[in-house]
This record gives sequence, structure tokens and C-alpha cells, in this order.
Amino acid sequence: MTIRNVRDHGQRFRPRMACLKKVESVVLEMQDPKTGVKSQNQRLVITTIPHAVTGEDIVAWIANRFKTNTLEARAVGTMMVAFGYIYPLQDHKRLILKPDTSLYRFQTPYFWPAQQWPVEDTDYAIYLAKRNIRKKGMLELYEQATRGTSASQHALVLPYRLEYAWSTSLYIDAAGKERKKPDRVVFECQERAYWVVHRPPPGTVSAMDYGTDRMVDPNMEEVKVYFISKHSNQMALKKKTSDYYRRIIMFTQQCIMRPRVKSSVSIGALVKYSTTYKEHDPFLHSSLPSNPWLTDDVTYWALNLPNVETPTKMRVERWTFSFGELLTDPRGRADFRLFLKKEFSGENLAFWEACEDLKWGAAETMKEKAQQIYKTFLARGAPRWINIDGKTMEITVKGLSHPHRYVLDAAQTHIYMLMKKDSYGRYLKSPVFKDTQKKAIAPEAHRFSDAQLEQNAKRRRPSLSPIILRQQEEEQKAKLAASGPVDITQLCRFTAPVPHLAVYTGICEATSPGLMTLPNSAACPSPISVAIDSTPASERRFDGNGGPSSSHFPSIAEVSISEEENQLPAPKSRMSLSLTRLLRRGCNAPSVFASLSPKCAVTTGGGKVQPLGVEPLAQPQPRRIANFFQIKVDIPPECRIYPIDSEDEEDDSPDTARGTVKEIICPWETITKQDGAG
Amino acid sequence: MPLSNNKVADDGSSAEPLQDEKAMVDSLIKVVACYRHLASCVGGCTDSSSLRRDLGKTRERAQTLALSCRKHLTTRLRDKTLPDAERKETERLWVSFSSCLELLHADMSKVLSMVKHFSLANNSAMVQTGVQEGSAEVAARALSLPDLQKDAGPQTSSLEGQEQSHLEQEIEQVDRTLDDMESKVNVLRWTVEALGPQYTDPESTDSASLTLLSVDEETTQQICGRSQMFAAMLLCSVAIFALVLSVCVVFLV
Repeated sequence: MTIRNVRDHGQRFRPRMACLKKVESVVLEMQDPKTGVKSQNQRLVITTIPHAVTGEDIVAWIANRFKTNTLEARAVGTMMVAFGYIYPLQDHKRLILKPDTSLYRFQTPYFWPAQQWPVEDTDYAIYLAKRNIRKKGMLELYEQATRGTSASQHALVLPYRLEYAWSTSLYIDAAGKERKKPDRVVFECQERAYWVVHRPPPGTVSAMDYGTDRMVDPNMEEVKVYFISKHSNQMALKKKTSDYYRRIIMFTQQCIMRPRVKSSVSIGALVKYSTTYKEHDPFLHSSLPSNPWLTDDVTYWALNLPNVETPTKMRVERWTFSFGELLTDPRGRADFRLFLKKEFSGENLAFWEACEDLKWGAAETMKEKAQQIYKTFLARGAPRWINIDGKTMEITVKGLSHPHRYVLDAAQTHIYMLMKKDSYGRYLKSPVFKDTQKKAIAPEAHRFSDAQLEQNAKRRRPSLSPIILRQQEEEQKAKLAASGPVDITQLCRFTAPVPHLAVYTGICEATSPGLMTLPNSAACPSPISVAIDSTPASERRFDGNGGPSSSHFPSIAEVSISEEENQLPAPKSRMSLSLTRLLRRGCNAPSVFASLSPKCAVTTGGGKVQPLGVEPLAQPQPRRIANFFQIKVDIPPECRIYPIDSEDEEDDSPDTARGTVKEIICPWETITKQDGAG
Repeated sequence: MPLSNNKVADDGSSAEPLQDEKAMVDSLIKVVACYRHLASCVGGCTDSSSLRRDLGKTRERAQTLALSCRKHLTTRLRDKTLPDAERKETERLWVSFSSCLELLHADMSKVLSMVKHFSLANNSAMVQTGVQEGSAEVAARALSLPDLQKDAGPQTSSLEGQEQSHLEQEIEQVDRTLDDMESKVNVLRWTVEALGPQYTDPESTDSASLTLLSVDEETTQQICGRSQMFAAMLLCSVAIFALVLSVCVVFLV
């Protein structure tokens, strides 16, 4: 069933393939009895079959005909074999021209590759069915896969044609019986060679690969416009079809969309880009240790995993090229996050990641996400307040009344520029980065011999399934969310109660680099996304993850407490902060357990989605909570700078230390009750 | 299935049982298979006017069979009073028939382009494909005629031109048939289930040609067998050594 007369902008035509006609003419020249290639007889067990040619004869003929050297001739010959015009009689799976006495034969024109007709899966099914019957099931692995899972792979073709394929294969077999034995053998060889060319085993390079389909049928005549010939004073015309107009429209649309830049500027940019990335391009420069596509050795990919602990030197060098490079590399982003944590401006990166998550996330959770981000980052008195100018804030707030995917774009750009101009420069000079640079590994280049290369090729294994990769990603995201950010200086301040309270608690990420793998995640690890995910599946998943991981928290907390006490130097504010962090940790480790209780989820679930209008109501509550912990919040947002907060905490820490240590669980739960009630 | 059974009844009333239609579709598939074998010889060293003529005849036969098949199947499928099981069978036949027709269409288009390229009248070079005999027997099987004329006079370019235009017309006719089929009867192809291979043809166990090919392949497996040969040699040497030892022991004793 072929669908015809479809009118859309789809691409469904095979490209021109002009080389085929040229090769055909060369093949026909080879057939000449006088000036062509000399043929001999192929001797099989009982019979002899004529018209077999040796590889060296072919090479010699090509070299003579085109007046080139043997290497060129051999390449041309291999191309002819790869296209399927000549097929090898021995070693039929390797489509190369061996310049020795190995025999080849010309393919019959019925089996020549053609541009007009793509090779049908139906025919392949017939062929496989025939071979299956013959060899009684001893097909190659990939052929079996094609037959066995034909329903899934060639969904529209094979299932309902299978029966037809079976019956046809039998009849083709039977029809072939009428021919003489040597002819039958020749036909089988021809067919086999045809399918080796057009359905190559996986992992081999096929000469018939042509990339994507084209939009225009190359076999259709080009429609010419009306024009008046000056000489003969006649109008030459062709009918303008809708097809012609469609192409004109597409062309002009693309012309309008094209950006126009001065060539000096664009060329300068190109030169700059080339010089910067010259050594990082695997085509222009050999990649260390070795390019897996060339040597089949996957060390390169193992060393460059998204969340590897020690990155390679090349990777670290890329981070210095631009801020965008640093952010797009997950390992670089993690490093940057660590640096910002030390500088106590992690909320910028968190906000940026949250905005990315909003932009790329699912549509159903978009509104809640936007609200959540507002409450966490943008509102007055928000726990992780970011510093953006008034105008941007105005635009954002106005847009949030009707939230859509790109409502936070302006704010995100502002923060991105802020990070780029300010933090990025400091990051590149920071000890964190210098440490990473020092630890980066520079692997040695592999030097494989030919035998080793063949062995590597044999040992190729498929990589992890994307399902497993996705699961790992999500686990890491959950872990990162669970071990929340540390730049929250107001304890237990959450303007929107969420079931996954661990997100907003001050559970410290372990500072030791050995535990860096724990909070890293491949994709945007927005803690908010995990928090907001209101689907039961994700809650369950988090519970599942939170259960085992929460048991780690006390131990990590203890480890990092001791480390922090050892590591942190004299500055008083830092010490006090560490103490408060300790307190928070002590307070919140049990709170994690409390938060994981379904009761908590139920009470707080209702309050999660709050429209913007409810904001003024929520404001008095946080102030109450803040006073409970003796942290002053009545600072106008513009002047909120963290050191001031830390001074406050410093003064109050002795009291709070005594106060909160006694009442570990209660303040948290009273807050939840309050929020639930309010 | 021996040759003599290939005669097909062309007439039929709507009351004929399903078996007859099945036989018709089967014979159509057979003819198309033979056509494919003949088409694979076009442009090769056995290409001749008789081959072209055989092609034409096989084509005509396929057309007539197709038309009658279509007529019967269409009337059957439009019959609303058809019981379910029979309808399923008929639909299956219909799918087979349409797939067969599409294959025929593809083969005919290929032959048309090849015939344009390899013109007999102009003595263009034919590809040396290694095929030796003509395919007269295949054509005979297709047309179910016991004998055929061996030679049909030389081709002239005008004759060839006529044949080509004839072929083009036939291709268009098959095209129209396919379109017609689609519009008249609505069979959802994906609901038709395929049965397994219903019959194991004893003729298809052709081990002889297999061995010819496999001998060829064995020569290429030498490299793979090298390690095995080495192991075998090692075993043999160990065995010989043991034998020698035992002989020496016997001598000493």
C-alpha cells in the first residue's frame, strides 16, 4: 500500500545519486570482449561457472583506463564493489576489492542499485523467508532480528506481508528449480550479494547511505518561469504548479529569516572559533586517549562521562572558553555550583537551573513550577532571594499572573549575565577551579597494532540502554534535591509548604570531594522540580530514594561536621554559620523523617499551589516563623546581603543553640501545622 | 506442485468456493515469481529476443489472472452476507493479492527502465553475469505450456519501441487496478493476521546447490578455523607422544 498524492513540506525523496549512472557506464565498458576485463571460469565442486574476474585484473583495467596508479584504481574498484555492481565470490560479506586472485563477478542489472526505487522491506522479507526455509533457521543474528521483530521495526510493512512473503518465497524457489543448477547457484549468489549491499549488517558502513531524505524529487523536471526570448521573440513557458509556488514561498521565507552580518565580523568570529576549538575537534585533532569510532576502544567515553569525578584536562580547558561551555557541561556546572556554595551565592545558579527546568519541562506542571520559583527566589522575603533590578522584577511579576514557559526569561537572562560577568571571572581564579585543574587527568594516547584493532572491533558491545541512563539520571536528581542547598540562611523558611521538606532544609552537601558524586546530576537538578512533582509516582520514588538516602544523612552530616570544623579557618562569621548549619542539620535530619510521613504530605499538599493573589496573606506568617528563630527578616529586599544575616545569627546563635537542640522536631511540625491551618 | 497443475480455471461464478480463488491467487503469485526470475536475466548475457518475448507473455498472463482475481475477490468482499470466517480468509487472500500486484508493478517498472537501457536492436553491451542457459523453462512453467518456440526473429528498434510503449501501458493498467482496488474495497491491512508457512514444500530442500555455495564459504573460513586446527594439532602431537612412550615402554619391558 503506497500512499500517493500527499501535499506537505515533508521530505521523502532520495537524493540524486548521480554517481550510479557513471559507475554503470564504466561497468558496461568493462564488458567489451575486446577491450574489457578478461574473464575466467569459476570452478565449484561439480560445475564450472563462467564470467568470473580476478581482483587484480579489475585493478589493472581501471588503472589502464583512467590512467591512474594502482592505489586509486583499487579505491575505485572498492567503490564499485560497495555499490554492488561487482560482487565477490569468496568472502561475500566484505565488500572490498582485493587486488589478488580472488574472484568477482558482475551483478545482473536487475539487482543494480537505483535511485528511483528504494529497496523494499517486502523483498527483504521474501529473501529472508527463503533463506530460512533453506537453511532451516540458521540465519545471521541481525537477519533473525529483522525477521523476528519485524512487527516492531518495520511496523507498517512486514506483519501483514509476512504471509505473502512466505508463500512468494516458496514459489520463487520453485520457479528457480526450472533452471539449470549452475544458473541457480549464480542467481543465489546474485541475490545474496544484493542484500549484503542493501541491508548491511549493523556496524558496517554502507555505500548506499545517503543521510536524510530530500524535499524535492530529483527526477521531476524543474519548472521554468515564463520568459521572453530576445532572439526569437517567443514566449517560452511551462505551467506553474502549486509545487513551484510552494518552493518559492519556502525560499523567500528562509531569505527573510536569514541574519545579515558584515563579512568582516562573521569571518572574524569564525577565525576566533576555529583557533579556540581547533584542538578539541575530533576530526581535526586526535582525541586522547583514542577516538572510539576509529579504534573501538571506549576509554574516551568512560573518561568523559557527564558525572565523572576527575575530568580530563581537555574538558577543563573547555570550561575556560566561555561561560556557556561551563554551564552546559554537567561536571563543569557541578564545579561551579561548589564554588558558588563557598561564596554563598548559589541561589543564582539554582534560579537559572529552575528557569531552565521550567522552559524545558512538561506543560502540566508549568504553572506550579513558575509559582514555586517565584516563592523561592523572587518574592519579598523569599528564602533564596536573587538580586535582579526593579524593571526586570516588574516585568516578571506582571508576566507571572499568566504564567507560560518563557515568563522568567528576562530574569533568567539577567542572572545569567550577572553570573557570567561577576562569578565566572572569580571562579576561574578560585582555588576550587585551580584544584580541579590540578587534579585533571591527561591520558596517554593509545597505540594499537592492527591485530589489537581487530580484537577491539570483535569486542564491541552495545552501551547502556537509554532507559537505564534515564533512571540513573533521575536517581541522581533526587539525591541532589535531597541533599539540598546550603545558601538558605533563614531556617525552615518556606513560603509554600511542600511535602519534600528536605529540599529547603539546610542539609549540607558534603564538602569533601570524594562525595562529590552524590549530589551531581546530569540534567538540571532543580530541587524545585523534585519538590513540585506532585504525581504519586514521583512521591513514591522520592520516598523510596529518600528512605535509604536519609539514613545516610546523619552519617554524612557527622562526617561533614567534623570536616567542616577541621577545614574552616578562623573567620568568625563562618564559624557561626557552620554552627547554625550544624544545628539545622541536627534539626532537620529528623525532620526529613517527619516530612516523609504521608500525613505531612497530605496536610501540606493542599497548600502547594497558591495563586499569586494569595501572596500578601502568606507574608505575615513567615515573619512569625522568623521571629521564632530570632532571625530578623524585616529587611527591605534590596538591602538583603547575607553577611548581615550571619551577624544576626552570630548574636543569636548561643541562644538558638540551646533552644533548638532541645526542641528538634517540634518547631518544624508547628510550622507545618501553622501553614496547614493558615 | 508439478507442472500440469498450473492450468487455472478462468471462469467463475460468485458461488464458487474459496479454494478456487485461493488457487487463482496462488497461481498469480507463481507467475509473478517466474516473472521475477525472467527479469533477473534482462541485461545479462542471456538476454535475447526470446527472453523479451517470454517476459511479455508472462506479463500478459499475470494481467489476465490479476483481473479475474480482482473481479472475484471484489464481488466476494462486497457481499455483505459473507460469514466472518470466510471474510477473514478472503481478506487474507486480498492482502496477498494486492502485495503480489505491487511486486509485479515494481518488477515491471524495473524491466521498463532496463529495457530502455539495454536495447537489443542497438547491440548495446550486455553484462556478463555468468548465467549460461536461457530461461525458457521458467517461462514455460509460468505459462503452463509444454513447449515454446526457441527463437523469435531479430529485434528491430521499431519493434522495441512498440514493446516499450506496450509495457508502459501495462504498467499504467496495473496502477489503475491498484487504485481501483483501494477505492472499491476497504480492507484494513493491519488487521489481517499472517499465518505461518502453511505448507512445507519438499522441493525446497535443495541441498545440492547449498553445498555448492557452502563449499565456497568454507574456503573463507580458514582463518577462523586456524585456532581450531592448532588445537587439533596439539592434541594429535600429544597422542603421538603418548603412543611413542608406550612403544618405548613395551620395548624396554
